[in-house]
Amino acid sequence: MEIKSDEPIIVVKNLTARFGSNFVFENVSFHVKKGEILVVVGESGCGKSTLLKMMIGLHKPSAGSVTFQGVNIVAASEDELNNYRQNIGVLFQSSALFSSMMLGENIALPLQEYTNLDSAMINMIIKMKLGMVNLAGYENHYPSELSGGMKKRAGIARAMALDPIVLFFDELSAGLDPVTAVELDDLIIKTNEALGTTMVIVTHELESICKIAHRVVMLDKTARGIIAEGKPQELKEKATDPRVRSFFLRQLPENVYQDNAYGK
Amino acid sequence: MSIEQNLSQLCNVSSDKKNEHLFIYLTGSFSLKNLNEFTDLIHATVKDEKPQETSIDFSGIAYLDSAAALALIQIQKFFQSNNMECSFVNLTGEAQRIFSVIHEQALIKTPLKTKTKQDFFLIQTGDAFLQLVRDFIEIIEFVGNLLFAFFYTILHPRTLRINDVLFYMRRAGVDGLPIVGLISVLIGLIIAFMSFLQLKQIGANIYVPSLVSFAMVKELGPIMTAILVAGRSGSAFAAEIGTMMVNEEVDALQTMGFDPIRFLAVPKVLAAIIVVPILTVYSDFFGVVGGLIVGVTGLDLTVNTYISQSIKTIKVFDIVTSLIKAAVFAALIASIGCQRGFKVRSGAQDVGKFTTSAVVSAIFLIVVTDSIFAVTLYYLR
Repeated sequence: MEIKSDEPIIVVKNLTARFGSNFVFENVSFHVKKGEILVVVGESGCGKSTLLKMMIGLHKPSAGSVTFQGVNIVAASEDELNNYRQNIGVLFQSSALFSSMMLGENIALPLQEYTNLDSAMINMIIKMKLGMVNLAGYENHYPSELSGGMKKRAGIARAMALDPIVLFFDELSAGLDPVTAVELDDLIIKTNEALGTTMVIVTHELESICKIAHRVVMLDKTARGIIAEGKPQELKEKATDPRVRSFFLRQLPENVYQDNAYGK
Repeated sequence: MSIEQNLSQLCNVSSDKKNEHLFIYLTGSFSLKNLNEFTDLIHATVKDEKPQETSIDFSGIAYLDSAAALALIQIQKFFQSNNMECSFVNLTGEAQRIFSVIHEQALIKTPLKTKTKQDFFLIQTGDAFLQLVRDFIEIIEFVGNLLFAFFYTILHPRTLRINDVLFYMRRAGVDGLPIVGLISVLIGLIIAFMSFLQLKQIGANIYVPSLVSFAMVKELGPIMTAILVAGRSGSAFAAEIGTMMVNEEVDALQTMGFDPIRFLAVPKVLAAIIVVPILTVYSDFFGVVGGLIVGVTGLDLTVNTYISQSIKTIKVFDIVTSLIKAAVFAALIASIGCQRGFKVRSGAQDVGKFTTSAVVSAIFLIVVTDSIFAVTLYYLR
């Protein structure tokens, strides 16, 4: 029950990702407000997933900070990082469900590790989470017995096991059919509205972006950073930057043939 | 009457009883972190007061998560099942939204699939036997396909992926040199030392070089090398092909018209057949060196005496059969590694299972084949 507010819950400041002499992005700064759905967009290779991995503490940035509730997780101790990880949930692109465990066991794992709840309560929470993602009754199924969309929903249920403050999604609806993608979008909106969970989503899907995003941050490969930030509808209608316009209007940039076609 | 207790995580439960109607006031944060504490407190309060009706007041709640909301629903159900009225009052909009995503039907729905129960012992034994038979048939089938792929490669040498062969020769051979050398020296040292302890009692120290070189060339060299290659490369082959199976890379090869066995298994098996005999010679040499160290330092033998005694013992027949044995072991290790890799269907657990199986099966086959060689060579000689 988080109340949506302008108060930033995550502050990203001057974040730089460099591999050798190659800069993926540099001096990226933005914030995530409490209770909002922030979508990070951009062309392939612009560093969206790298940014996400830095925000969840999996990759160390070359420079800059990611601050969550006053703690800079880039320079955090192992205990602080563990505490941060108990307050976030992550849905990976491939769902990353543990294939050797049934869905119920996948969801129970963080509950058994981080709480002292008895097994009856854990079982009830499993049923509740599976019900929330429309997978009621699937607790004894293995991930290999599920379709792609069901795996994603199960991944969301696991990510929500500890009722995290922030949920991160990497390529939420990549590779899913349109109906399943819409179902997932609805689930995200419903979860955000009901539980007030802050969400950071990396995606390419334009329809999803327009439907679910409260705010969009757009990264660009050539600019090595953020080129646009705002509400999706505003960016779609009012953006003057040709790169932003071509993304939101699904048009090729005007000079694409001059630059790339016929080997030029 | 009123009780007030502070819980960890900044939440507060207070109560007030009016004419058999108990009001429980929740204030502060209610979440997964203090779930046990506040549920115990509510139960204790109701047990003490024994009311006929209870109302849980939400007006003071600042934070509520779905687990805490579920716990409150469970409390309500528990009281109702004990013939006590229990209601939620002054629900905030946020709390109502959280309750709206907790589906009553989902909480009582029985699993669509029951957990698989362990079968009766006899059924398990029967299944294990059938699995063994199936496994044997699959190995025969795989060996047939592999031989077919080998013949095809011999007839069409340009189809052989020579770079892959060289790559696996380096992986299985060159990268294994340090560990094979080290183990062989130590084995040579141990045999020399143990035999010296026995032979010195009858003054037969001079036979230590013969024993070490005979044991290394005839048995220990090929066997030790094969076991090390099974552990290093057999497992690697199984894990590599297994991961490709999981990632649908093998399916991609098939749809592109490639025979996965010819494309993936032939270079590995060929590389192993070339490299393991060479590793065996290397192992034999280092085993003899290990014995030499004990011979020279502990038995007062000269280097020349030790070497001449060793050469006198070893026959060309022994070296040739040892190399043939090594090549057969190599074919077994690589084939079983690849076959187990192709059996992987899904997930990391399958990869682990079949990688283990590749090593265990390879070692078992090495020992069985070595026994067959021992008997056959005895009669051949």
